[in-house]
Amino acid sequence: MSHAVLETPTPSGGNFRPHKVAHHFTSAVQEFQSLKLAFWLFLVTEVMLFGGLFAGYYIYHEQYLETFVACGKLLNRELGSLNTIILLTSSWTMAMGVRACQRSKQREMINWLWLTVLCACGFMVVKYFEYTAKFDHGVFPGSFFAPDETYAPFFEGLLHPNIFFSFYFTMTGIHGFHVLLGIFAILWLIWQGGKGRFHAGFSAPVDLIGLYWHIVDLIWIFLFPLLYLVP
Amino acid sequence: MADAHAEHGEVQIDESLKTHVCSGGQFFGVYIALLFLTIVTVGVSYFDFGDFNMLIAMAIASCKAALVMAIFMHLRWDTPINNIAFIGSLIFLSLLFLFTVADFSTRSDMEPVHGIPAEVNNAFDWKSK
Repeated sequence: MSHAVLETPTPSGGNFRPHKVAHHFTSAVQEFQSLKLAFWLFLVTEVMLFGGLFAGYYIYHEQYLETFVACGKLLNRELGSLNTIILLTSSWTMAMGVRACQRSKQREMINWLWLTVLCACGFMVVKYFEYTAKFDHGVFPGSFFAPDETYAPFFEGLLHPNIFFSFYFTMTGIHGFHVLLGIFAILWLIWQGGKGRFHAGFSAPVDLIGLYWHIVDLIWIFLFPLLYLVP
Repeated sequence: MADAHAEHGEVQIDESLKTHVCSGGQFFGVYIALLFLTIVTVGVSYFDFGDFNMLIAMAIASCKAALVMAIFMHLRWDTPINNIAFIGSLIFLSLLFLFTVADFSTRSDMEPVHGIPAEVNNAFDWKSK
């Protein structure tokens, strides 16, 4: 009894490497679909993670409506909008990168991925300015909340404004952490893609990290209006 | 024997893997639509529609999310099992929200909680420190 080694077709052009289908799969299709289903299940856990936070946000929003409306106005709407546009752009460049990979365009894929990393870094830089603008005035989450004299008057007569900022920093913080992880994941794609590992015959890693990137965008699509626009 | 055989590389090419590839125009169209909806949601937020503010914002966000899921995330062309997995999670998420919203939107004005020590009630009150 012998097993032939299964390989997907290796495209010409570039320094593409052949992809061997792992021995426990019967075909390249089965391998691809298994990887993809597993990844979708991981994305489901991401939905659960943020879903819980959103539900918590809703409850406290109802409880302290006045506080949430007033505190939401303290967030920088312009920077928030800018970040939304940056993240949507990165989602588009990522989709284009996956598309290039599926058509075995190595150079094109790497260029789109670099653009995605650039946007992601831009997002983090804007986030840095937003956070420090709050930290400089003692606006910290939870029990660290100690606004200085410029910010304290805003919170006069509001019940528990620190709760709003706990939600703000927790939700955008966990989201920002995902962006950071995404940057490293995409850099890995660029590194391995340069070695010719990803092409039409093996696009799964690019495809899956693309999905991850889109869900990070998806979460921001809901975070942005909730925190910045209509708290 | 079997290992030795594989080592000598009897390689079969599996040509069966074919994935759907969107056109660049399709992606660009979605990107423009997403930017447009972002402008709409920011623009609308400058007007006050009272209780509908949140509803309008969430409706626009849902449209954007649907576009990202269907086209960017390729769900439209994906297998049923992947659709079931992800859309299933959204259905369970809506259950979580259904009961939470049903609860909190039907409560009358809350009274302060009595019988709880002040330091517990004030634990998160920054002014009490």
